[in-house]
Order: sequence, then structure tokens, then C-alpha cells
Amino acid sequence: MEASVERVSVVRTRRPVPSIVATSAVLAVAAMLGVPGFASSGNVTNIGLQVSILLIIAMPMTLVILSEGLDLSVGALLSLCAVVFAQTLGLGWGMALALGASVAVGMLTGLFNGALIAKLGLPPFVVTLGTLGIAHGIALVLTDGNAVVVGNPSVAQLYAWTILGIPFPVIFALLAYALTHLLLYHTRFGTYVFAIGGNRDALLLAGIKAKAFHIAIYVFGGLMVGLAALVLVGRMNSAEPASAIGMEFDAIAAVVLGGTSFERGEGWLFGTVMGVVTIGVLRNALNLLGIESSLQVVSVGILVLLVVVIDSVRKSRVNGAKA
Amino acid sequence: METTIPTAAVPLLELRKICKSFPGVRALTDVDLQLYSGEVHMLLGENGAGKSSLMKVLFGAYRADSGEFFSDGRPITIESPADAKRLGIAVIFQEFSLVPHLSIAQNIYLGREPRNRFGLVDHRKMHLDARAALEELGLAYDTHAYAADLGVAQQQMVEIAKALSHRARVLVMDEPTAAISDREAEALFHVVRKLRGSGVAIVYISHRMKEVFDLGDRVTVLRDGRLVQSMLATAATPDELIAMMVGRSVGTVYKRQYFGEPGKVALDVRQLTTATGVRGVDLQVRCGEIVGLSGLVGAGRTEVVRAVFGADPIQTGHVTVFGEAVTGGPHKVAAMGVGLIPENRKQEGLALKRSVHENLLTASLWKLFPRGWYQAEKARSATKALIDSLRIAPGDPSKSARVLSGGNQQKIVIGKWLSAGCRLFIFDEPTRGIDIGAKTEIFNLIENLIKDGAAVLLISSELAEIVHVCDRAYVMREGVVSGELPRESLSEQNILRLAMHGS
Repeated sequence: MEASVERVSVVRTRRPVPSIVATSAVLAVAAMLGVPGFASSGNVTNIGLQVSILLIIAMPMTLVILSEGLDLSVGALLSLCAVVFAQTLGLGWGMALALGASVAVGMLTGLFNGALIAKLGLPPFVVTLGTLGIAHGIALVLTDGNAVVVGNPSVAQLYAWTILGIPFPVIFALLAYALTHLLLYHTRFGTYVFAIGGNRDALLLAGIKAKAFHIAIYVFGGLMVGLAALVLVGRMNSAEPASAIGMEFDAIAAVVLGGTSFERGEGWLFGTVMGVVTIGVLRNALNLLGIESSLQVVSVGILVLLVVVIDSVRKSRVNGAKA
Repeated sequence: METTIPTAAVPLLELRKICKSFPGVRALTDVDLQLYSGEVHMLLGENGAGKSSLMKVLFGAYRADSGEFFSDGRPITIESPADAKRLGIAVIFQEFSLVPHLSIAQNIYLGREPRNRFGLVDHRKMHLDARAALEELGLAYDTHAYAADLGVAQQQMVEIAKALSHRARVLVMDEPTAAISDREAEALFHVVRKLRGSGVAIVYISHRMKEVFDLGDRVTVLRDGRLVQSMLATAATPDELIAMMVGRSVGTVYKRQYFGEPGKVALDVRQLTTATGVRGVDLQVRCGEIVGLSGLVGAGRTEVVRAVFGADPIQTGHVTVFGEAVTGGPHKVAAMGVGLIPENRKQEGLALKRSVHENLLTASLWKLFPRGWYQAEKARSATKALIDSLRIAPGDPSKSARVLSGGNQQKIVIGKWLSAGCRLFIFDEPTRGIDIGAKTEIFNLIENLIKDGAAVLLISSELAEIVHVCDRAYVMREGVVSGELPRESLSEQNILRLAMHGS
């Protein structure tokens, strides 16, 4: 009888290592060898500062895309949150209270996005395109289109604060990563993020209120955007109504570079971190080479397409081998 | 290994006089079913006999119109899947409920993840429990593997482990061996026997006679939504079971009017083998005849048609249409005069939001207007001719295809290919979901097609349709043609024997 017992153990990971691992390594080595000043410790700190905001907002973007969603509103929302943060500081609010206002705006917007997407089943692309417009418009109205300068010195001090030589924004971003990792891989919520993208029916059959968790993904996104406003305002010591517009492009690019798919809840949070760093390294190296920022956007776009094409070719080879 | 069912024992679960109807259809009429602890209960019936409906009632997905349920002799109600779950009833559907990028352990405990004192998921305990659950079934899977990396058979095992971890006492399996290899099926049977030994009642829906006798303790046969008989498997023979399954009363059976002399060969398939599971199929269709292609769901009929139409690549063998070898994709095959009326007409055959007019002409625009200039008047008259000859109702060409009845939608798909000048028509389940009157009309149309010298290949799961409409029929089973039946021996019994038994 025991002879027919299935002892074939399933190999845990048959999938190839995502291309981002090799891509980021190649890019970093190339930059070190070919770009003067790239490998200096000052420049490495610089890259860390440059990518910190992107890392914070790319974390929830990973969850959103894992759930087969998309959030185009993060750039405009981050700008709005920064304006709210700077203006409430200007009203004499303390930093914690002002940050609370920013987070509240972020989370309410996330709730609005999530409710329309999960409850009414509207396409995420359309919903968040709408909130992009609304958030941008409100930021313009609040500021009359002008920058809001921060008088309270503690924000800039916090931005410049270092622990063991590591700048505060980098630590803040790493904490955001740690929190998202904990949520995604160690809570029920995280498990359901994969299930919402992979097989919603499975959740319903298990008697889980999938919609509530679906909304929570966008609310979490709003929370992170609200917090990121602290770093954004700290960097410039002011808030402009359009300062972060377009950052949704880099955030989505980082997630896709990291190997997260738009289908079936397939993805990898650390891949997003590598995607963020890769974009940061690329832009920084191009900066040092004196290449203007519009061409940097082009190069990020090319990089994303390159990695996606490589991944899809490799995947179809693996599937071909299986069949 | 033999289990004897103590007939005096109280059934674990009993259904009495279950009735269920839908608008226009009686799905179940006075069906009784007793399930005993430690038995494998085979459920048999033709497509549409009521097996799925009965299982859905059992699982709470449908609410029975009338009837009683008893658990261990006590009356109970099953009105929702939650009720069924509470009673320990689990169903393993053919489409699995696994999340692809979660681990085996996460899938088994989806929604019931064990948590530690910090409220975080206790991965250690979850994997230990999952491994224990799989070991109960004799499986040594790595519980960290993703569901996406598992084969169909392995996914099935995970589903079983999941059901058992819910402490299921009744496990329903819907054609579990339909998509797995023989070796995998052996492993599955081993698990099923093990479950039987531990007192689970297993309801096993199957179309394979061998399984019925290898695995089953008792057999229940349904026909037309009614119970034919429940009996011990040892007390039945394959021929008896087949005789019980056939002879459905399908209401008005079509009466064929016209029989012609078969003309030249329209479709010639030789030793067709595809990656989709078709193995060495031979079949011919001549002009002026209606040839049936029968077999159970999943036997490979649709796969043959897809390959013929150029939608799937041909591995070996060849297909000839009107003497010309088929090489290209659907576009080329259609240009050779082959019209496919797909099973899924709403998704594949029609643009539902577009008008009758537009749908009728989609396949023939180049034929009507070879220079590429659209002439509204010419198009209108072409549409009108088609609407009149096919008697499409309502006859308003500007109506969107969505508002038409199933039968009239089917006529539009036929008209689309007629206007394109097709001479070989392949119908894949043309009468699914349409009423009796429309069915008759569809068959009239098919008959008219062959009267005009066209050739027809008809795929149908309704045995009576094949018997009454076709000149002759091929029967498929597990990807091969298990037999060809000339008109004289075309009977439901013969078809079913070839479809289930293979000889």
C-alpha cells in the first residue's frame, strides 16, 4: 500500500530569479566604473536621500498592484499632503499635529479610492485618475499656485538629523519598508492582498470580507503618502502644489522593475526596493554625467520596458520547458 | 478493502424528495440520496441529468424548492454554503479555489490563519499543521511551494487537505480525474480509499465506467433530474448502468426530413494530434451530410475543431478542406469556406453590442466590397436578404444583437458565415441554452444547408440530437475517436457506450 504514497516533494521555487537582481548589479557596477564621483560616500548618501520618498510611496504601490489595482493619484496626493502639512505648520500647529493632518488627508483619499474600486467595482485606473485631478486642483486652490514656505525650523532639522551617519529620511524609508514587509508577509491582511489579486472567489468561499481588505490597501497607501510629506517638505523647507506630480510614474516603474505582475497577485516586496534603488542609481548617474532630467525619464521608461521584456521572455521559456 | 454498508445504519446525510426548478426547466424532481459514513458514492448521469444541480443543492449554492434534509437522522436545513460548511460538507470543484501566489499552507488555512500573541500569522504552526494535514493523506509536499507551481493533481490534493482541515464529513468530488494522468489518478484513488477508511462519505461524480467499479461502493443514476436507481456497485453491470442513463425524454425530438447522397469530401482529418490532447484522430465529412461528433465534456471534441479551424497548432497529421491542405490560422481557414459556430456564441461568435446588420456582415465585408469602399445600399440589401432567408426575428437590422433570443442570435452567427460563402459549417453545441422551438428552427436551418450542398459537422452533448439529426457520428473519448457509428447503429446507448467505455 505504501508504495503508492506520493513522496514526490514539490520543489519550492522553480521560477527564475527576477531580472532586477542582475539589472541593478550591472547598473551599479557600470556607474561605479564609468561615472566619476559616483562611488564617493557623499554621493551614496545623496542617492539614499533622493530615493527615500520614492521608496515610501512605492511600498503601498506594490500592494495595490498585487491586488490587480493601480494608483495614479499618489504624486498629486503627495503634493497636496505636503501643502496641507506646510500650511498647518504655518498656522502654528506642532509638527506631530500637522503631520496628523497630512496623514488624515492621505487616508481619506485612500478610503475614497478604495471604496469606489472595491465597493462599486470601478476600474482603479479611472478612479485614481479622477482623484489625481481632484487632489491637484485642491492643492492649487489652497496655495494660489505658490510655494508655501515653512517657518518652523524643526522640520528641516529633522530632515538633516542623522543616526550613525545615516540620514533621517533614509531611516524613515527603511522603517516604511519594514512596516510594509510585516503587513504583507506576517498578517492576515497581507495574505488577503495576494488573494484579492490572485483569486477573489477563494476569499469569498473562505467567508472573508474581501472588500474591506481591498479598501484597506488604498487607505494604507494614503497613510504612507501622508507620512512621506514630512520628508518632501523637509527637503525643500517648503511645499509646492505640484512638487511630486509625476512621481506615480517612478513608483509604478519601481514596482514593475521589481518583478511584481499586474495579474494574479504575483510579486515581491523586496524587488520593489531594488527597483527603487535602481531608478535612483540610474538617475543619479545620469545627473553626474550632466544629462538633463527629461532624458532621465526616457531612460527610466526604457529600463522598465527592457526588464519587463526580459522577464516575459524568460518566463515563457520556463513555461515552454514545463509543457 | 470491501466495505459493507450496513443498510440498517442511519445515513450521515440524507436528502429526501428534493425538487428544484428554474424558469422553464425542472432541474430536479423528487430526488432522494443517502450518504453513509465510509462509502464512496458514485453519481452517474448524462450531461444535464441533474448531477450538478443536486450537488449545488447539497452545498447550499442552490436552495431546494422543496424536500427534506437529515443529518444523522435529525432534520436540518441547508440554505447557504455556510450551512453546508457547518455540517461538514465540502465540495471540490473542477475549477480550484486556490490562490496562485500563496503557499500550500497559506491556501489550506486561508481565512483561518493561526496567529501568535502579537496578532501576527504564526507561520511555524501553520506549516506544521499543513504538513500534518497532507501527511494524513500520505503526501510529503513542501508546504512552502506556491499553488501556482503545482500541477492539477497536486492542486486537487491540496484542495482535499483544505476540505479535511475544515473537518469535512461529506466530500463531493466533481470529475476529479478529468484533467490528470493515470498515475496521478492512482494516487488520488489511494487518498479516496484512505478517506473512506476514516469514515468520510465521498460523493464521486464520474464519467469513467472503470472508476465506478474500481472505486465505488454504491452507485446512483440520475436522468432528466430524477432518480433512476441507487444500488450497490457490485450489483450493477456497465451495460445496465448505461441503459439507465439513456432514454431521456427531451421533449420534441427533431424529425429529419431530408436525406441526400453524400457528395465530395469537404473535410478530411488524418491522424490529427495536438498539444491540447487530441491523439490520432481521423474523420471525414462530405458535402450533403450532417456528421455528428459526440463524446462527454472534455473528451476532446472542441479541441479537434479548434485545430481544424487553425486556432490551435497541429502537431502531427493533416487537415484537408475541399481538397486543400489547411496551413494558416482561422483567418485563412475561414477564407477556404469553413464557418465555425462556436459553443460560446456570446463571447466568440457575436459582437453583442453591435447591430444585427453589422454582425451579419462582419465576415463578408471584403467579399461584398473587394475594393474596400463601403456601399451602404449594397450592404443593406445583403442584410435584408439574410434576415429574410434565415427568418431572424425581430427583423430590424439596426437592433443590437444582445436583445435577440438565443435562437435568433445563433441564426446571426450562421448568417455571418453564409454571407461569407462558407460551404463547411462546424456547429459546437448549437442548441445550448435555447428553447425547444428555436432548436427545431436551428435544425431546419442545418438541414437546409446540406440541401444546398454544404457539409455540416455537429458537436453536441445531447445524445438525442446526434441520433435524430445526423447521418452518422464519431464518438470521442479521452482525445481519441473510440468509434464511428453509421446511421443504422446510431443510438444513444451505442454513443454512451463508446463515450464512457471506449468499445
